[in-house]
Amino acid sequence: MMASPLQSQPLFHIGPAPITEPVVVAWGVMAFLVVGAVLAARRLSITPSKGQAALEILVSAIDTQLRETMQVDPAPYRALIGSIFLFVLVANWSYLIPGVEPPTARLETDAALALIVLAATIVHGVRTRGFLGYLATFAEPSWIMIPLNLIEQLTRTFSMIVRLFGNVMSGVFILGIVLMLAGLIVPIPLMALHLLTGAVQAYIFAVLATVFIGAAVGRRRPSSHEASNP
Amino acid sequence: MHIDWWTLGLQAVNVLILVWLLGRFLFRPVADIIAARQAEVDVRLADAAKAAADAGADRRRAADELAKAAATRADALSAAAADAAMEKSALLAEAQADGERLRAEARADVERARREEAQSADDRAAMLAVDIAERLLTRLPEAARTIGFDDDLAAQIAALPAPTLAAVRADGAQFLLRTPRALSDAALGAVRDKLSAAIGAPAQVSVEVDPGVIAGFELTAPHVVVRNNLKADLERISAELTRHGHV
Repeated sequence: MMASPLQSQPLFHIGPAPITEPVVVAWGVMAFLVVGAVLAARRLSITPSKGQAALEILVSAIDTQLRETMQVDPAPYRALIGSIFLFVLVANWSYLIPGVEPPTARLETDAALALIVLAATIVHGVRTRGFLGYLATFAEPSWIMIPLNLIEQLTRTFSMIVRLFGNVMSGVFILGIVLMLAGLIVPIPLMALHLLTGAVQAYIFAVLATVFIGAAVGRRRPSSHEASNP
Repeated sequence: MHIDWWTLGLQAVNVLILVWLLGRFLFRPVADIIAARQAEVDVRLADAAKAAADAGADRRRAADELAKAAATRADALSAAAADAAMEKSALLAEAQADGERLRAEARADVERARREEAQSADDRAAMLAVDIAERLLTRLPEAARTIGFDDDLAAQIAALPAPTLAAVRADGAQFLLRTPRALSDAALGAVRDKLSAAIGAPAQVSVEVDPGVIAGFELTAPHVVVRNNLKADLERISAELTRHGHV
């Protein structure tokens, strides 16, 4: 059962830092992903196993999505977008473990993810266009748009936070209510629906991050892949 | 609404660490293995393309060799056919020449045999004619076998060269006279006189009867023989008739 979705009670403290449940669950998600990645990557070979093939399909799908959306070489962005996607996906699905509240159902986690995307947007934009060049993008198509573009940067980040937070939190909240009313069988369709919702939200969050970074990076440039395969 | 900034910061750090860890242990190795496989595939595709190109070149080279071999075979066949035709012509010409030669030899043999047969027939006919004449002459009357021959005998003696006549005279003018019948003394005396007149010295004549003379005389001296008789005539005729190339 969930308490207020807007408040987190610290489980323990490390020094001055209160460690809340979302942080602990995030560590669990990280441990799951990292251990799984290490185990999977330890047995990579030219002739892939079924597990390796699944990993390669995942990575290839991410690369394809990045390439088609950003029109650039996906390598510099693969780790960020892929990690966000996997983290959000596993975090959304973590509620299947009894007693575990998804960290993405907490505002702080979603805000952290959105701020990282915002920072990545700025970093990649500056790195690609240069500092002035990146700033000049705020004056497109006209300098009159500068305030609106600045507000857009904040609002779209805020929209990412609210979208993910609202979908996951509401799903978990409704599921909790249904579990209180009918604890057997009835929640199963809702849990399946929440599985789909969690996957869709992870995909949407990753795609939005891709679109925002791609917009900051700018128009299409010749990528190494395209350069080698014209 | 309350924002737990510690949680927000820790989650941000968590996500950044996760990004680094997954990039280090998941995305980079998987991307690397994909790239390695792609490179392997590219290499193998390049090798396959090269092998295909080599195979194509080998196939073209083999086709060229086959064409050359076919051309060489055609040339060899043409040369062999030409040689065979030439050899055939030579053999035919030689065979024709041999045939012509054999035919000429056969014709010559046939002609020679025909001439020999004709000559033989002529010889037989001549001998038969002489034999018939000899048999017919043997039917002459005894008296007619010596009459008239003594004058011709003396004329033949007189016509002998002077040295011969001198040698006859030196030997004493002795003669052996063969006659087909015995001569009377008068007939013998007439003959002796005519001989003496012909040689210019008295002749000594002894007589020998030889029916083979048929008619006429045959006079024999040490250095000369004079034949004036039908036997000698028949022999001359027979010799003349059987002389090859004059029949």
